[in-house]
Amino acid sequence: MRPGKGGTPGSSLHGDKGTAVTANIFEMNGISKTFPGVQALDKVDFACVPGEIHALVGENGAGKSTLMKVLAGAYRLDEGEIHVKGKQVSFSSPKDAQVNGISIIYQEFNLIPELNVAENIFLGREPLKMKGFVIDNEHLYQRSKELLASLEAGINPHEKVKNLSVAQQQMVEIAKALCLNADIIVMDEPSAVVSGKELESLFRIISSLKKSGKSIVYISHRIDEIFQIADRATVLKDGKLVGTVCPKEIEKSEIVRMMVGRSLGRTFPKKERGEKKEILSLKKVCRGKVLKDISLKVYTGEILGIAGLVGSGRTDLARVIFGADGFDSGEMLFEGKDVKWFNPKTAISDGIGFVTEDRKTEGFVGCLSVKENLTSLILPEISKWGWIDAAAQDETAEACVEQFNIVTAGLEQEIQYLSGGNQQKAILAKWISAGPKLIIMDEPTRGVDVGAKVEIYQIIRRMAKEGKAVIMISSELPEVIGMSDRIAVMHEGRLMREISGLDATEEQILMMATGQVKENGTDHVHESH
Amino acid sequence: MSMSLTKVREHRTIIIVYFILFVLVVISAFSSEIFLRPRNMANILRQAVGIGLVSIGQTLVVLTAGIDLSVGSVISLTSCLTAGLMMGRNSMFLPVTALVLAIGLAIGFMNAFLIIKTGISPLIVTLGTMSIIQGGALVYTNAAYGEAAPLLVSFAWGQLGAVPVPFLLLVGVGAAGIFVLKRTPFGRHIYALGGNEEIARRSGVKTDRVKVFTYMLCSLTAVLTGLFLAGRMGMGDPLIGAPYMLDSLVPVLVGGTLLSGGKGGLSGTFAGIFILTVLSNALNLMGVSGYWQWIVEGAIILGAVAFYEKR
Repeated sequence: MRPGKGGTPGSSLHGDKGTAVTANIFEMNGISKTFPGVQALDKVDFACVPGEIHALVGENGAGKSTLMKVLAGAYRLDEGEIHVKGKQVSFSSPKDAQVNGISIIYQEFNLIPELNVAENIFLGREPLKMKGFVIDNEHLYQRSKELLASLEAGINPHEKVKNLSVAQQQMVEIAKALCLNADIIVMDEPSAVVSGKELESLFRIISSLKKSGKSIVYISHRIDEIFQIADRATVLKDGKLVGTVCPKEIEKSEIVRMMVGRSLGRTFPKKERGEKKEILSLKKVCRGKVLKDISLKVYTGEILGIAGLVGSGRTDLARVIFGADGFDSGEMLFEGKDVKWFNPKTAISDGIGFVTEDRKTEGFVGCLSVKENLTSLILPEISKWGWIDAAAQDETAEACVEQFNIVTAGLEQEIQYLSGGNQQKAILAKWISAGPKLIIMDEPTRGVDVGAKVEIYQIIRRMAKEGKAVIMISSELPEVIGMSDRIAVMHEGRLMREISGLDATEEQILMMATGQVKENGTDHVHESH
Repeated sequence: MSMSLTKVREHRTIIIVYFILFVLVVISAFSSEIFLRPRNMANILRQAVGIGLVSIGQTLVVLTAGIDLSVGSVISLTSCLTAGLMMGRNSMFLPVTALVLAIGLAIGFMNAFLIIKTGISPLIVTLGTMSIIQGGALVYTNAAYGEAAPLLVSFAWGQLGAVPVPFLLLVGVGAAGIFVLKRTPFGRHIYALGGNEEIARRSGVKTDRVKVFTYMLCSLTAVLTGLFLAGRMGMGDPLIGAPYMLDSLVPVLVGGTLLSGGKGGLSGTFAGIFILTVLSNALNLMGVSGYWQWIVEGAIILGAVAFYEKR
């Protein structure tokens, strides 16, 4: 059964109410949620009818997961109301939401690897016998077998979860949700972990759950899937509701436009380049399942942006170039030399820098001072006879702080107490002072406030102008477009196509990143000069 | 076929520890003719009781990804209080036993309470309570003191045919432990807690309650060891428990339970208990000094844990 009306793009859910044939199983009205510094949700409305597959779509950071965590009781809402089955509710824990028939299946599964399948399905709700002292194993395995059979999963309930494939674990999660008698099952980007045949069977199960009257909220940013299975789709952008639509009534590009379409600000520096010569060239580089036939050229004096969804292989590519991971086949030439770096150390001494995505665990040593972090890559240069020359260290660190405008209480301040933006500037300073020829930056502005972002953009552009080669990975499309001279788009481990940074649009990139434009690895578009 | 292969893989650790125990027994039997005599066998079984009881409790705690370093001091305190309050009177056997068991439960509750409420790691919390309880025992008496009730002494030294009576207690407690771990929700939640506390909580496991019961049971087994030792010595000793602080972990680790929790169990610990007692007995019979026993024991711990960590 289809819900009454999809509405045209831009119309809000309120338009639905008048014509709805079936009462909503749950309704979220005017939901707002703020985290320090971020308005994650801004007066969002969302609702589902029984027996509906409702897709929740938007870019990374649009607020999809936050909205569902509010529904599942994992986050408290700041403003708004939630009604489940006509009753107003206020969940203070995931357990409250479960009792009300809401189950959420996260990307990281809630399963205990060392316990077996049936034990996991019934964890915390074991069937009992003998006055509740002993687990009724017979019932436990029987019921688990039935649940798994209803999902046509073919999983042995005695198997330990750690021995299951990711797709099988997903089935166990669904069985767990069914075992909880959930009427509302939220799936957070299930297709991020399964694909191909497994995804097809997941869709089959979702459809059969729908037939049995369950409501499914399907979070995704893959347009194809939404058109394949969803009855309705609600689009979020920057924490705001864009609209609820019926995929069957509109074009794919319409949803893409709803997901992105925003204007670029004046935050990006002018695209000035430095001296251009080829520095790195990859030919048909493969690594396991994560990188497939990557051919790519990197030039000095320009910024190469790498776009793609999380898990598309962007970070894997960076790690291979940096020598943190090896590759199985293909060829990598750095300054014309055939290289297969064994570790990051040799890559660094050959002139490569890597600003990692997760600065807290990989970017700096939090409990060391600003100056110790700033000089950690150039210790040989500021040491004499194996002893660090304190004066030289202070001098170098001071120069960095000044040049990169790092706001700190002093050189002795522990770096963990700096703001995110200043930490990031310090990491950039650290790498730049090591004098790399090629620098790779993975999400350089993640968790950084707007002011620091602009400064970081200027630092990045300055590097390119000074003749360094820059590779910038980013999930933020405006950033990729605003900063890059060339943009390479990745999708499921493949390089889809290279486009010029001058006239790229978000829609164009998103189409490629979601696999809607056929791969065309050989047809590199070389930008005009 | 494939089913049985998975079974073998599943129980590989257990198969290996019991194989090590078997090899150890064979070697010991060949190196000393006294080893297999019934009297020596009974001796080994009796020696296993002291370390065995407390390491059963320790296994439960380690399975939750915790650790209880206070067990040694609980053993010492129990030994002093038991002998000091019984003073050789059978009439005091039941009341004093009840009292020390209650004290054990209280200490276990306190350990868990502090771990839950302060968020300090179990290692630090139980290190602190260990020091406090040990100090308490030394304040009560700073030297061997008191006299165990004759009933307790005859329990500790009693024989039922060839089998020492206290060994039956060890078997009983061990069997109860295995039943709890395998068949009760509490036991399953111990594994879940050690596997991933956050997921266990989100699945509706009352994690705090599981912790409280586990630490209470662990202290309780330490009290049982203390009672047994008081009966065997006939008097109390404020330092008798000190070695058990770490010794209680040895059978747990050798038996294949991971210090990170969630994996392992009591059947492994049982093998661990006997690997240690047989080793110590055999080296004694061969006239090897006690210091060498430490060296061998240390090597076994390192070897075993390195082996388990690899898989």
